[in-house]
Amino acid sequence: MRRTGATSTGLPVLGLPMLGLPVLGLPVLGLPVLCLLVLGLLVLGPLTCAGAHAASPPRAAILASLCGEGTRAVLGGLGETLAATPDESASEARWAQRVLQAFSGHALQCAPGDQAFLSDGDRTLDAVTLQPARAPDDSHAPLPSLRARVALAQTQAALALVAARDPAERLAAARTLADHAGGLPPGLPAAALAREHDPRVAAALRVLVAEAGLHAPQVGLRLAAIAALRQDASSATAQRLAALRADTAYVRDPRIATALDRALAHVRFWLRVGDGLALLYNGVSAGSVLFMSAVGLAIIFGLMGVINLAQGEFIMLGAYVTYCVQEALRLVAPAWLDWYPLLAIPVVFTVTGAAGMVIERVVICHLYRRPLMTLLATWAISLLLTNLVRVIFGTQNLRFQTPWYLTGGVRVVGDFLITTNHLFAIAFAVAAFVASLALLRLTPLGLFIRATTQNRGMAGCVGIATRRIDMAAFGFGAGLAGLAGLALSPIYNVNPTMGTGFIIDSFMVVVLGGVGSLLGTALAALGIGLVDVGIEPFYGAVAAKVIALLLIIVLIQWRPQGLIAARGRR
Amino acid sequence: MVDHSKPAWLTRRAALRLAAASPLAMPAIVRPAHAAGTVKLGCLFSSSGTMANLEGRLNYVARMAADELNAAGGVLGREVEIVVTNPASDWPTYAQLGRQLLQEQKVAALFGCWTSVSRKSVLPVVEQNDGLLFYPLHFEGEENSKNVVYLNSPPASSVLPAVDYLMSADGVSAKRFFMLGSDYVWPRTINKILKGYWKNKGFSESAWTEHYVPFGFSNFQNLVNQIRSFGAAGGGQPIVVLTVVGSSIPDFLREYTNQGIKPTDMPVIGLDMVEADLEGLNTQGLVGTLNCWAYLQNAPGPRNKKFIADWGAYVKKSGAPYSPHTVIDPMVSTYDGVHLWALAAKKAGSFDVPQVRGAFGGLTFPGPSGYTLSMTSENNYVARGVFIGSVNDRQGFDVLWQSKGTPKPVPFSPYS
Repeated sequence: MRRTGATSTGLPVLGLPMLGLPVLGLPVLGLPVLCLLVLGLLVLGPLTCAGAHAASPPRAAILASLCGEGTRAVLGGLGETLAATPDESASEARWAQRVLQAFSGHALQCAPGDQAFLSDGDRTLDAVTLQPARAPDDSHAPLPSLRARVALAQTQAALALVAARDPAERLAAARTLADHAGGLPPGLPAAALAREHDPRVAAALRVLVAEAGLHAPQVGLRLAAIAALRQDASSATAQRLAALRADTAYVRDPRIATALDRALAHVRFWLRVGDGLALLYNGVSAGSVLFMSAVGLAIIFGLMGVINLAQGEFIMLGAYVTYCVQEALRLVAPAWLDWYPLLAIPVVFTVTGAAGMVIERVVICHLYRRPLMTLLATWAISLLLTNLVRVIFGTQNLRFQTPWYLTGGVRVVGDFLITTNHLFAIAFAVAAFVASLALLRLTPLGLFIRATTQNRGMAGCVGIATRRIDMAAFGFGAGLAGLAGLALSPIYNVNPTMGTGFIIDSFMVVVLGGVGSLLGTALAALGIGLVDVGIEPFYGAVAAKVIALLLIIVLIQWRPQGLIAARGRR
Repeated sequence: MVDHSKPAWLTRRAALRLAAASPLAMPAIVRPAHAAGTVKLGCLFSSSGTMANLEGRLNYVARMAADELNAAGGVLGREVEIVVTNPASDWPTYAQLGRQLLQEQKVAALFGCWTSVSRKSVLPVVEQNDGLLFYPLHFEGEENSKNVVYLNSPPASSVLPAVDYLMSADGVSAKRFFMLGSDYVWPRTINKILKGYWKNKGFSESAWTEHYVPFGFSNFQNLVNQIRSFGAAGGGQPIVVLTVVGSSIPDFLREYTNQGIKPTDMPVIGLDMVEADLEGLNTQGLVGTLNCWAYLQNAPGPRNKKFIADWGAYVKKSGAPYSPHTVIDPMVSTYDGVHLWALAAKKAGSFDVPQVRGAFGGLTFPGPSGYTLSMTSENNYVARGVFIGSVNDRQGFDVLWQSKGTPKPVPFSPYS
């Protein structure tokens, strides 16, 4: 089958007018039709129980249409002939889910003679029976086009509503259907609602059902639909309502017009609130990234006065140690894999801290009186570390497993989405800030560090081992930078050169905040983040960088000592 | 036994080749500048900085191609030697190192540059010294120097077909366009051409919006928010035309999926996006995102299978710090370029730039993409096939569409 549709290379090819090429084949011609058919199955299946048919003919027909040559007559008739008990329809839906999953993943193989196969890992299964089989060599895998993917997403969601046992999956499916409501068989949400037990999924379905009444002839249903729509204050809703408001035929009834006006005002108000909050959230998250990358430097440069150009590489090292912890967990305790970002915290801190201490002991402690040499030496260390990691791991971006609690986000108000990976970075930054502040203010080590910073000679006189304190402080700063690498790994690309991007920003933050002040560093990071992100929507990202840097120059002119000046003799 | 027979066979063949080529090679051999036993090719690809992860691979591919040539007896009896430099993703350094390679190392040709801004900075150097730069990236097409060989496609035979596909009913019937690019010449010119193209198709100016970010930009939260509101504003199917480069690509894609936008809601076509950009990502939520190139790793055909296997073997042999399983278009373009240069030099019987350039017309080379590349005497563009790729959940691109032949490359778009 589909011999005419395949090129000599066996790939689906569509004609492009641009190149003057003929239309050679449309691999997924029947897909929208098929999707309607599958949806028809779902609605009809539970409602009409007209006895059990053999399952194989519809399966074969669905596969034939996925493989591109489904005859429309067969497709059209199928919806009517297919009737099964609800239980059987669920098993059919599960089968269809499997096949559509394979189809969208380019794993459905079509062979001549109406045969189809699924590649499942190393195995090949017969697509009708799901029994192991061997696909002929001349089989090809059709790839769904983008348009077909929309229909696929809708069909898969509809199937999940029937077949998925996990309520979370059904909820996601209901949400997908809310986004792609067009072309949905009108009875589907109601039929699914009738079967639904889970209250949250039922609530989502009830909204779908209400919205289906938006174009119903009865004014009451329309008003209910508008009321259901306004609950979800997103820009998509605003757009739908505005389109209805502009339709003179639709607003002929004054009650509908007022309801629409009110709903629009309500949605637009919350949209504005959401936009403002989103800007604030993005600013705080950018600030927390800046703070995390600068906090180690705030200790090393701010307190000890060492210009450490290898600071970015400590961040990189932290990210690589996180990666190693992840891989170790994958080998040793796969069940704990999702918790690697938390389990890695002590490991990362210890390893990068130790690396920092070794570097301090071997190189930097000999150069305290020669700042220029420190600059060169740390620059050399940064190149050394970068290339060492490159030799060991390669230059490609590392692949991090994203745990479930670090993906996606929660929509709060309007279009404002709290994305969990940024929330993680914010929480991490706050924790790092509080912990470092507590260590410096409340512990004996902190007291010694502060004493050494303020007056090294005097601190030495009262019996503080200043050299050892230097080493500890350097290790602490390096450890914090390593933790930054951990916190940033869900947001940034992790590769050997990732550190170079942070070094300028972190010096900027430390200098602006006031050398030697942790609170100043936090304020400066937050300020730069907010200004940078706040300007961006109005003047663009490039101008935002320029304006933010200009502001920093002006601020430094005005307050050369930084936002918060450290006390003490330097 | 086997160990002995293979080199002997190679040497015999090499000797035969040399004998056959020597009458042609005569003029070149009498020149003192070329009297040495090797011929040098220079590489201008960064192995540090923002472009390192992508450009660095090309040094190794050039070496691999040179090894192939040498195993077959070299070019005109000479062994091909690759001279590698590191311009460190710093645009002026490309020009400086290019000058050194041409004037001090006397390289026969340069292979280099990824971004258009680096090519633009090398351009005056190759023109002054009458050198040859083989440029392996697809680009804005608003240039036609006799000193540059444009190995990849201009927009008319890469970007426009891909955007056309998205605007067709088989794509998504795109009506509105969010253009997001890095702030330099390539994205700006591409977007200018696209705007002219859409205007020509009868779209109004309200159908698009364009935004630019600095190089290495990573915080895409605001922009993805903006894309989301743009997508929800209504007025037809929206798409994102992404021309950010380097490390910004994975950063953007990560934020895009994280905010829950699906390619079925608003597809992204990443014009500079290659397999290597997906290496660290979970591409489950990106399935259906598109790119367009003259080669995709999943291109069918035995030549591609062999190339991927050769690259894997080469990575193992040379210890290159790159994935042996990832092959990207510019790698193949560089490989094609080295072979095209060798073919031209053989045809010309000389390594001198004017002769080599004169030999370009009518050259053909069967590349790993499955198409036969060809050049005309009209200009230094290479005619290649076109692929549209669709991201799959295994960090790769499936071939969604490929052109039937190799469309003629046309520099200088009428839409810009």
